[in-house]
Amino acid sequence: MSADRETNHTMTDRDIAFLLADAADEVEIGIAPYQAVIRGGRRRRARRWALATAAALVITGASGTLALASLRDTGGAEVTPAVSQKPPRPSTPEERHVYVPQETMLGTGTDKGKDWYVTVEVWGAPRTKAEAQAQLTAMAIRGDEPWDKDNASALIGKVTYFVQRSYGSGDPKFLMGDSASPQDTMAGTDLKSAAFTPDPKKSGGHQRLVVGHVAKTAQTVQCTWKDGTSTEAHRVASGADVNSDEATIRPVAGSPDNWFVCVGPEGASFDSVKVTK
Amino acid sequence: MGDRKEARGTRDDEFQSFVIGRWPRLMRTAFLLTGEQHAAEDLVQSTLEQVFVAWRKVGSADDPEAYVRRVMINAHARKHRRRLKEFLAPKDDSGLVREIADTGDRIAQAEDRNALLKALAQLPPRQREAVVLRYWEDLTETQTAQAMGCSVGAVKSNAAKGIAKLRAIPGLAETVTQGGPK
Repeated sequence: MSADRETNHTMTDRDIAFLLADAADEVEIGIAPYQAVIRGGRRRRARRWALATAAALVITGASGTLALASLRDTGGAEVTPAVSQKPPRPSTPEERHVYVPQETMLGTGTDKGKDWYVTVEVWGAPRTKAEAQAQLTAMAIRGDEPWDKDNASALIGKVTYFVQRSYGSGDPKFLMGDSASPQDTMAGTDLKSAAFTPDPKKSGGHQRLVVGHVAKTAQTVQCTWKDGTSTEAHRVASGADVNSDEATIRPVAGSPDNWFVCVGPEGASFDSVKVTK
Repeated sequence: MGDRKEARGTRDDEFQSFVIGRWPRLMRTAFLLTGEQHAAEDLVQSTLEQVFVAWRKVGSADDPEAYVRRVMINAHARKHRRRLKEFLAPKDDSGLVREIADTGDRIAQAEDRNALLKALAQLPPRQREAVVLRYWEDLTETQTAQAMGCSVGAVKSNAAKGIAKLRAIPGLAETVTQGGPK
């Protein structure tokens, strides 16, 4: 066995291989659902981003489920890097996470007895066309599709992020994404966000889940609900626990901005959001 | 135009052959990764859907199997990152591990299988992936690293830790000293 070729395995390893084979035989194979695979594949192929470009001032949702907040609502004339001490510049594409994104969980909670999770994947900026092409392939393998998936060059010099929501036992669904220069950082009270229902099948329901990104310096984000109540998200340190139904602002690996999640109580519906501190 | 249509038809045929031919093996691997019949079916179907999207490129690649493995491991890892519970522990009513009241050997074998699946369920996902790819898929460390999108060192470490935990299964250790399952 090849497993024996590279290391000195004992009989135990070989026996475990036998037991694994034995256990694998327990599965009922059935008939390959070819037609279902084709249907699912075509759906995936047809899927497109709801994407906000860096130039756009609002996010427009193709599915109609996005509630909007402002981008650069201070006018955004000046953009100052929030972090003055730059770490040593990574050189290889692997070190820059060009082919494997960094993933951070932004929030989690429960909705009608089902768990939901919001995560963000951040892909490092490719420097060459070859790196960009390889990144596109790596994205395709993970099921991520950038806006301009046939134009690798468009990714050069840009960090790409995908925000996804998982609900119950369903597959992660794309919420929002963008490709932007890492120098294009948020500042002051800049904010970009979208609001969603926790359950993707109830997109017309109460949008009590707000996800967005803000400047590294932002300490508090206030989400106001239509009934007049509000929820505050406070900044936490990198790696802080993600607690159920908790609103927080947190650093995201690979992102030049901090990200927040606000979770409203059941029945709440998004009205507005702003950086208050 | 006709040539293009013909090429597409050929690609579809190739993909169909690929799906039908690889389904059993993929199902077995997915079962070891997920530990549950339906989760395994979902994982393989979702993997093949992604392969379908990129089939033009994958089908003409030197090693389409490597691509498919990578997609499957990514899909499995992604599901785990969501911290969703998988139903790895064999369930009494699911028939996942059926104890066969036949001979003493067969009962012992079913118990080993049960113990192995339980222990596999308790491994962290990366260790489980490394063990399944190395000892069931029989991949080299390099191939495993490619499938998992990590370094060979990480594969070695995950496989070693995973296998050490499997070795610690009491019933299994007994079987091993007697020369493995019959």
